[in-house]
Amino acid sequence: DTLLYGAKHVIMLFVPVSLCMAVVVATISSVTFYTEKGGYLVYTPFHDGDKADADTGTKVWQSVANALILLGVICVMTIVLLLLYKFRCYKVIHGWLIASSLMLLFLFSYIYLGVVLQAYNVAMDYITVALLMWNFGVVGMICIHWKGPLFLQQAYLIVISALMALVFIKYLPDWTTWVVLGVMVIWDLVAVLCPKGPLRILVETAQERNEPIFPALIYSSTMIWSVVGMADDGSDKKKKKKKKSKKKPEAATAEPDRVEEELDGGFLEERPTRQLSQSTEETARAVRAARVLGDTENGQRTNSPRNPTREEEEEEEEEERGVKLGLGDFIFYGVLVGKASSNGDWNTTLACFVAILIGLCFTLLLLAIFRKALPALPISITFGLIFNFTTSLLVQPFADRLSASQVYI
Amino acid sequence: MDLAKVKDEDKLNLCRKYYIGGFAFLPFLWFVNSVWFFREAFLKPEYQQQKQIKTYVIRSMIGTAIWIAIITTWVVLFQTNRVAWGITADKISFLIPKGIP
Repeated sequence: DTLLYGAKHVIMLFVPVSLCMAVVVATISSVTFYTEKGGYLVYTPFHDGDKADADTGTKVWQSVANALILLGVICVMTIVLLLLYKFRCYKVIHGWLIASSLMLLFLFSYIYLGVVLQAYNVAMDYITVALLMWNFGVVGMICIHWKGPLFLQQAYLIVISALMALVFIKYLPDWTTWVVLGVMVIWDLVAVLCPKGPLRILVETAQERNEPIFPALIYSSTMIWSVVGMADDGSDKKKKKKKKSKKKPEAATAEPDRVEEELDGGFLEERPTRQLSQSTEETARAVRAARVLGDTENGQRTNSPRNPTREEEEEEEEEERGVKLGLGDFIFYGVLVGKASSNGDWNTTLACFVAILIGLCFTLLLLAIFRKALPALPISITFGLIFNFTTSLLVQPFADRLSASQVYI
Repeated sequence: MDLAKVKDEDKLNLCRKYYIGGFAFLPFLWFVNSVWFFREAFLKPEYQQQKQIKTYVIRSMIGTAIWIAIITTWVVLFQTNRVAWGITADKISFLIPKGIP
């Protein structure tokens, strides 16, 4: 019983996840914009806990309430997405996805550029900025939604995940972030593994229909090579469905909804509520299950068309088994590490980073054993949370004492 | 997308679309086009569509070079003369740095 994935696949996922986390941490440590509390999402109405004189009880109940509200919104968005998918309203879904990635690529990166330039005190004129943003955005849309070099597509997905994570870190109250992460773990487990879980139904429906699931929002480590409707295609290419750890950033799809509701699209600091990022996040969260479309299913589907066109497919016989990870997972890993680093302590940041990578290893191992769609969040985030709190509470004072008294271990 | 698995006509199509797209003030697209199809155009053994792909790649490279020249000149011009230009410079500035220049 050989494992479906080897070390190579693990490394193929390590690099993008680490890059995403590195970008988030680098930004948080150099740019103060994302750690200032400037406004809150409309979905987290309880944020008195952030005031300096709040007591623990208030913080706790408020975070839990906020997290539950967010969870509710995500449930609703997931179910809406599922219904849209079931009733084949593909146009709506695609429009949603395109609008949300438009917003991510243009609006959020514009703000990011402004903030970074401000931090480094560099002058810039509108003309250059317009040209830069236009190029970045359009090429991004082309690479993600249409055809483009794989490397560039991966790079863009990493960038938008990092941007999304930064937005989350900014707009969620402190304790709420942690509780939300915990709640997401549970939601992910439930939604992907339970037979009635919406995400599982989504995956199974997609499998029945032999379609790739929103390829625009999944990070794939190798080429996606799928042909829909192979029966009528003259050059009958095999449908190679890679193992997908699929976490679709459905939040991204929900984003456009919010955009319409926002009266002015301005993303200025003085606005008290930030609905924009939230919808993106929901979409991301809604489809955050790591799915692995098992090789067995793959095999069943590819074996039948293989025979009739054996000659022309012989050169394609070697299957590239790649791993797919949904963008929502990238986003949440980024949120975890970014939040850990925003407390200013490198030990904790590194510990969380390592924890997430270890969790990812385990998840891939399980993936290789079970050969089904699996949620990628639970193990990594659990490890990350444990490591974060134990490091900041236990290891950090210990390390401080040691270096204060010049004792080196 | 893996170019190795794409049919030749599709490759030509893609190259052409990227080339045409670059005219919409998208030097980055031209750059991506020239890099991505470079191997296809120059380092692969001859095939039918290669000649056309080659022309598109060369034109994309020229376009990228021209744009880089334009952008560099403008940025240098702006950065060195920003203070001297006074009001106009402020009006077109996205970000005015703090502190004494």
